[in-house]
Amino acid sequence: MLTAELLGAWFSVFLTLGILSYLYDDNPFYKAAEHIFVGVSAGYWASIYYWTQVQPNLFGRLWPALPEGTKTGFFHQLWYGIYHFLGYISSGSFPEGGIQGHAEIRMIYLIPLILGIFMLMRLIPKIGWLARWAIAYIVGMAAGLRFYGFLNSDVMEQIKASNINFSGNGIVLLNGIIIVIGTLCGLLYFFFSKEHTGVFGKLSKVGIYFLMISFGASFGFAVMGRISLLIGRFNDLIEYSGHEFHNATFWLLGIMILLLFIWAFTGKNKQDKAAA
Amino acid sequence: MMKRQIPLLIVIVVGLITLFGHFFSNQGIQNFVDNDSTQWYDIIASFAIFLGALNLLKLQLMKIYKKQNNWQYSILAVLGFFFALFAGFLYRGAYTVSLSGVAVENHQEVAGIIATGTHNNVALITAGLEGNDDYTIPMVFMTEGGAEALGEDLSSYGATVISPVQWGAHLTVKLGNSGSLFWWIFNYIFTPLSATMFALLAFFVASASYRAFRIRNFEATLLLSAGIILMLGRVPVGQMISPWFVGFIFILAMGAVIAPMVKNKFITVSIVVAGIAILTVWGVLTGWDSTRPAIFYFPVLQEWIFNVPTTAGARAIMIGIGLGIVGTSFRIIIGLERSFLGEK
Amino acid sequence: MKKFIDILIKLGSVDRRYIFVLVGLSVLIPLIWPINIPIRATQQSQNVFNAIEGLAPNSKVLVSFEYGPSTKPEIHPMSLALLRQLFENGLKVYATALWPDGLFMSADAFGTMESEYDLEYGVDYVNLGFRPGNEAVVKGIAADIPTLYTTDTRGIQITAIPMMKGIHDVKDFDFVFSLSAGYPGTKEWVQYACDPHNVPMSTGCTSIQVTEVIPYVEHGQVKGILAGMPGAAEYEKLVNHPGLATGMMAAQSFAHLVIVAFIIFGNITYFVQRKRDQKK
Repeated sequence: MLTAELLGAWFSVFLTLGILSYLYDDNPFYKAAEHIFVGVSAGYWASIYYWTQVQPNLFGRLWPALPEGTKTGFFHQLWYGIYHFLGYISSGSFPEGGIQGHAEIRMIYLIPLILGIFMLMRLIPKIGWLARWAIAYIVGMAAGLRFYGFLNSDVMEQIKASNINFSGNGIVLLNGIIIVIGTLCGLLYFFFSKEHTGVFGKLSKVGIYFLMISFGASFGFAVMGRISLLIGRFNDLIEYSGHEFHNATFWLLGIMILLLFIWAFTGKNKQDKAAA
Repeated sequence: MMKRQIPLLIVIVVGLITLFGHFFSNQGIQNFVDNDSTQWYDIIASFAIFLGALNLLKLQLMKIYKKQNNWQYSILAVLGFFFALFAGFLYRGAYTVSLSGVAVENHQEVAGIIATGTHNNVALITAGLEGNDDYTIPMVFMTEGGAEALGEDLSSYGATVISPVQWGAHLTVKLGNSGSLFWWIFNYIFTPLSATMFALLAFFVASASYRAFRIRNFEATLLLSAGIILMLGRVPVGQMISPWFVGFIFILAMGAVIAPMVKNKFITVSIVVAGIAILTVWGVLTGWDSTRPAIFYFPVLQEWIFNVPTTAGARAIMIGIGLGIVGTSFRIIIGLERSFLGEK
Repeated sequence: MKKFIDILIKLGSVDRRYIFVLVGLSVLIPLIWPINIPIRATQQSQNVFNAIEGLAPNSKVLVSFEYGPSTKPEIHPMSLALLRQLFENGLKVYATALWPDGLFMSADAFGTMESEYDLEYGVDYVNLGFRPGNEAVVKGIAADIPTLYTTDTRGIQITAIPMMKGIHDVKDFDFVFSLSAGYPGTKEWVQYACDPHNVPMSTGCTSIQVTEVIPYVEHGQVKGILAGMPGAAEYEKLVNHPGLATGMMAAQSFAHLVIVAFIIFGNITYFVQRKRDQKK
């Protein structure tokens, strides 16, 4: 019986094998899977961001479901008239009576709504410059946040962390000294206002050695991470090769290999003819 | 002024307020910085995502319209986009069925009906019925008809209530092995594509390691050695490699390194033989302990490399990047950095 | 001998598709025919375990899910092992997500926990869900949670959830745990929440992120670290519940051995080629 799970399993296997087929060569299966990924991702992200942020936190503050007994006036009637109109377009986004979550209308949230609409104006070349106002807000706020965050945790705390624990045993002391030397020499390497010659050059060379060990460790971890992901994919393919999924992996693998073979063969023939 | 000065003014004012919000104790400013400003940031960031999605749609549609290279695949991109939007905004595809008032003597029968209808485990469902008077069937139905069909089968055993999942919550609702249409797209389309794209890199890393990773100088040797020690030491197989074996390989490798530097081959051979002899005697005296010498035991060696030289290098990079970001953030806040406006 | 060296040099520039096949087989074969390899926990994984064990019953732990399907094999086993330890120790779990995908991952993890433990939503755990904004969200959590999260993932008002009473900001939590696959993640929690407000935290992250986080771990800003899938397997051993990661370690080990063999073999062919070119 065709269930959503079974159909999903076959889709999943097809898309996985389609992406993996790139290992042979760039081919129609890979291109198809890649384009589906691009389209679905865009729709997926738009939906998530709308329902988790825009609807509850923006519209929810502009048109909250007010508690019973709240005094309303002409402005309120007008304002919620707009809401009712929007409710006709989408009753899911704008349910009757207002959006649950906040106790009062915050008109100041018209500012991010307007800035958000300005952001979308980027699509229209003539008024695309309006997006700069919205981008300016994001850039300004990110700069302010990062200034403090990085200065505190990444600079000051790390400098504090480089102190040597003299109360520890010999190995702790030695390790602490190595860390301090490595940190200082590594930082010296990145100082390009002075030529790396003489003693300074030798110290920055020591810094490079520490950095190389660090990069080697990063490489090792990177390999580890990628292999882990591959294991995850293969696990799913093995699961979907089972009887309950009608051996999806085997069927689709066989069909794709056959079609790739035909594609490669016809491609080679075309190349030979063109060369001739 | 509208295109340059006002955005700059916004950057400066917002940047200063955000930064000094850490240091002011004014209630109004603190409230704005801690609550509203972050909410505005989130909201505008969401619109940036919408912009990206719409831009993508525009580019793909242009490609189809102009029949550019591989335009046929763009149809798939557009279809995928609208399918995801359909599941996100137009078709909820998430109904739950709850059952109450089922007599105890009917639990087994009801559990059987539910198990057949939802492809679930009978024992688990029986346990659920026994534990809850108001039992939610562990399945999300994508169609109201599907939910109603099961509800009808169960109507003679108790009261059934079919409820649509709230908009918003429909994105992630999952019961048993089923979820909404959006969840189905995430689980069977987005997840395999996303995961496999990253998994491809495993092959390319292996290929690059084999074809390009060469010990051309001392720095490359350090990089390679650290990488290999970490790769082997971090996995269980690293514990199974005898440190004595590694020790002997190390001595031979040292011999190979010093051989070109020492003209007298006899000295080189003597050093290597002496090293092997010392290691052998040490091994015999310690009974060839499987975790000693620690300096050649991969798990211990990788832990030291991880905790000491790697930390030093990473810390140097972190402080360097931190200083760079602080400098760039300051330049942005005072209006010197204008690259976000498209200016140099 | 000359023929042997010729073969060696030829193998040094073999078509990369043969390498792909060997890598694929090195991963596939141990998965189809599993081998049990004993796992030894590193000090960092032990530190994470000890940090959680040291929490008193009913302590409030904020667990943040910032990973997605692409990094699920590495981090999801850690999530499950962590949640098992938290629930077995009677700790209260508050879940958030800085990534949209984290929403699904958390729902999946709690779904698994519901089938293993007798949990009551709103009393034992609550899932606050995802909010966009990266570090701004972390800052919001550090400052004012009820303003940031008005409803949870089930659409229930935060004010109606019993275990949310008294929770105003990050200082109301006894511990923070970040399950991180990149940005935003561990770094942002350290910079904007845990460091400024002195809330102890730990992390489980992807292998690629480990070197970025290690300076925080060394300084004690982060109490231990679970590094990638091997870290997850070590943690499963410590919580005495072998799971997904443990089963995959044999494949991980063999793949690493194969890649190391490739690197060594590649360098041997390089030196042989170089010696031959020098002679010429």
